[in-house]
Amino acid sequence: MQEYSSQAAYDRGEAVCVIGAGASGLIAVKNLRENGFEVDCYERDTVLGGLWNPQNQHSPLYPNTHLVTSRSQTEIPDFPMPDDWPDYPSATQMLTYLTSYAKHFGLSEHIWYGSEIAAVEPVEGSRFEVIVKPAAGNAARRLRYAAVIIATGHHWAPNLPSYPGQDQYRGTVLHSSQLKDASRLRGKHVLVVGGGNSGVDLACEAAVNAAGCVHSVRRDTWHLPKYLGGEPADYALNRLGARPKFLRRFLTDRLLNGPARLAARMGIEVPGRGPGGEEPVRNGRYLEHVGDGSIRRRGEVARFDGYDVAFADGTEMRPDLVVFATGYRPQITCVAAPLLGVEGTGGTPQLMARMFSPKSQTLAVAGLVEPGVGVLPIVHWQTHAIARWLQVRKSDPERAKNFRDQVQSETTGQADGPGAASPRHRLAVDAEEYLASLARIIDTLEQEPAK
Amino acid sequence: MSLAAWVRRARTPAPAPVAREVAFLEPADLFDLEIKDDPEASPVLCCTGDPVGAAAFNALWLKRIAASGRYAAAVSVRGQGGTPAAAGGVEARAHDVVQAAVAVPRQTVLIGHREGASWAALAAGRYPAAGLVLVSPRQFPKQPPKPVGEPPVLLVVSESEAQSKEAQAVTDAYGVAPLTFAGSPDDVFKGAAAEGLLDAVLSWLAPKQ
Ligand SMILES: Cc1cc2nc3c(=O)[nH]c(=O)nc-3n(C[C@H](O)[C@H](O)[C@H](O)COP(=O)(O)OP(=O)(O)OC[C@H]3O[C@@H](n4cnc5c(N)ncnc54)[C@H](O)[C@@H]3O)c2cc1C
Repeated sequence: MQEYSSQAAYDRGEAVCVIGAGASGLIAVKNLRENGFEVDCYERDTVLGGLWNPQNQHSPLYPNTHLVTSRSQTEIPDFPMPDDWPDYPSATQMLTYLTSYAKHFGLSEHIWYGSEIAAVEPVEGSRFEVIVKPAAGNAARRLRYAAVIIATGHHWAPNLPSYPGQDQYRGTVLHSSQLKDASRLRGKHVLVVGGGNSGVDLACEAAVNAAGCVHSVRRDTWHLPKYLGGEPADYALNRLGARPKFLRRFLTDRLLNGPARLAARMGIEVPGRGPGGEEPVRNGRYLEHVGDGSIRRRGEVARFDGYDVAFADGTEMRPDLVVFATGYRPQITCVAAPLLGVEGTGGTPQLMARMFSPKSQTLAVAGLVEPGVGVLPIVHWQTHAIARWLQVRKSDPERAKNFRDQVQSETTGQADGPGAASPRHRLAVDAEEYLASLARIIDTLEQEPAK
Repeated sequence: MSLAAWVRRARTPAPAPVAREVAFLEPADLFDLEIKDDPEASPVLCCTGDPVGAAAFNALWLKRIAASGRYAAAVSVRGQGGTPAAAGGVEARAHDVVQAAVAVPRQTVLIGHREGASWAALAAGRYPAAGLVLVSPRQFPKQPPKPVGEPPVLLVVSESEAQSKEAQAVTDAYGVAPLTFAGSPDDVFKGAAAEGLLDAVLSWLAPKQ
């Protein structure tokens, strides 16, 4: 990063740097402070809450975003959401929640807003120099920290497909993150591309607001309603985890039988035995809209042609608006790729236990997983582990060694996790397995060391 | 709370929600120019096993705590005072305390009296209290959870209870020696003994949080 002047760095001693003040960054700051660390958190935007804050310049929220995971499975373990909130809170409530978390634990005084981190460079041993992108006309600020935690999220770089003829397409194309207002759908013939949660939610918005909705899906996934057996679906499935193995399979099949049959009736071939590690679609309205014809499903788009779109099955349509709900590319640009185990350009980070740098003991990433369940609890345990590790690393060589061995063994084999099959799902983890792995890692830091 | 404890809880039905009665007093509410709100000092949330619930703290406690510059609150758990009864045992009452705690604007100290000490101790196993004060605990859990975030713990008992099994059990669980006060353990809400007790608690809190 030679373009920044070599102004002397300000040494922050044993303090830890957290990058990003979204949910993951806030949880990291709280858990580090609770473990006695001084923390500086840098947020490029002027607000906290990350993607849940519509004021964040790049917020990916779309009209009527609600949680797809239920309250009890989404809340931070040591800071529950108010119990009079609905089972599936809205994006606005999620922001209220994160704001009150920050206020409750006095996190704001540790956050520097409007401070984008341009680069993180290793210096002398295990320390890092962090470069804050300068505001116009100023010199870049450099600071040194004992450790860095990256919590920059992975929903900022829209993933846009490129189909033949797309460049010459004459109609309007938007990424899901650009559709802020459902009124843009009104009276239009809308094509929604992408079969993930965003695509399915947006198809439902179009079903009730637009003149017509065609939904192009390349690959079928599990469709779960938001409730199963009278309970929030994720909770109902999680609860089965407490049952003995032989019963569990039977009970899971029984619970999923109805939704699977309904999906099959709508022509959706569900892969495998259950949602497992890959993020299932959680939307109870979608299949009903397919059933009443207000959403028409198509396979993959083949090409764009003037004002028309042709599908792989040979059918064509002329949409007024195309919405690409094709997700995001995980992108961490402030750190040199090898530090995150990235091979080649545009690759996905290969982290130890999905959070630690393979090259440095004092660099970690929080929240770079798609667990198919609530993300915040996972990040809570990740950052709990990171904070404990930073303590133990220096003070307790025996535990530190056990920890490193454990992390190494948790990492072996992670490459063939549920996400290995498809590049878009490389961050996917099986939540139950990953939590068990986190528990084993935390045990090496907290239990009496095994001799 | 350990990860395993959280996994278990996330698989357990949550207690039915109730509209909880919460009383609170901020330093500014006292209209006394001498009293300054101390933004550094943690708020305090109280609960008691006494069936009147939060109202028990109105006569003396909330005012005195607020006068020390702290946000003072008290909660009635299900079935107490103005909070409707609802299903659930001690776990549900601990849930009520946690719910009241997260609604306090800042990280709060938990003070529990009698059965309330048990609920507060369970709550502190799920919520990182700024401090945990157990006053004459009764029906205390045999193995209370390890408090989240390792807050300082204070045990206060009446002189008559100092040698009791209950006090000994709490001392063992947290490794803290009890502080004693004169007077009856059920009569801590007003009178000279109550004032002495409260001042001892507040001065214990003062340098720590
Ligand atoms: C539409 C949508 C719906 C979702 N629904 C759910 C759900 O129902 N349940 C669930 O559990 N999860 C859901 N998620 C997942 C979501 O990712 C997590 O809930 C959580 O918000 C992730 O938080 P984060 O802090 O990791 O990332 P973000 O919220 O993306 O925050 C990252 C922060 O880092 C900042 N930043 C980025 N780069 C820099 C830099 N170089 N320097 C300084 N700051 C930087 C950004 O401005 C941002 O504030 C959803 C995601 C999307 C997109």
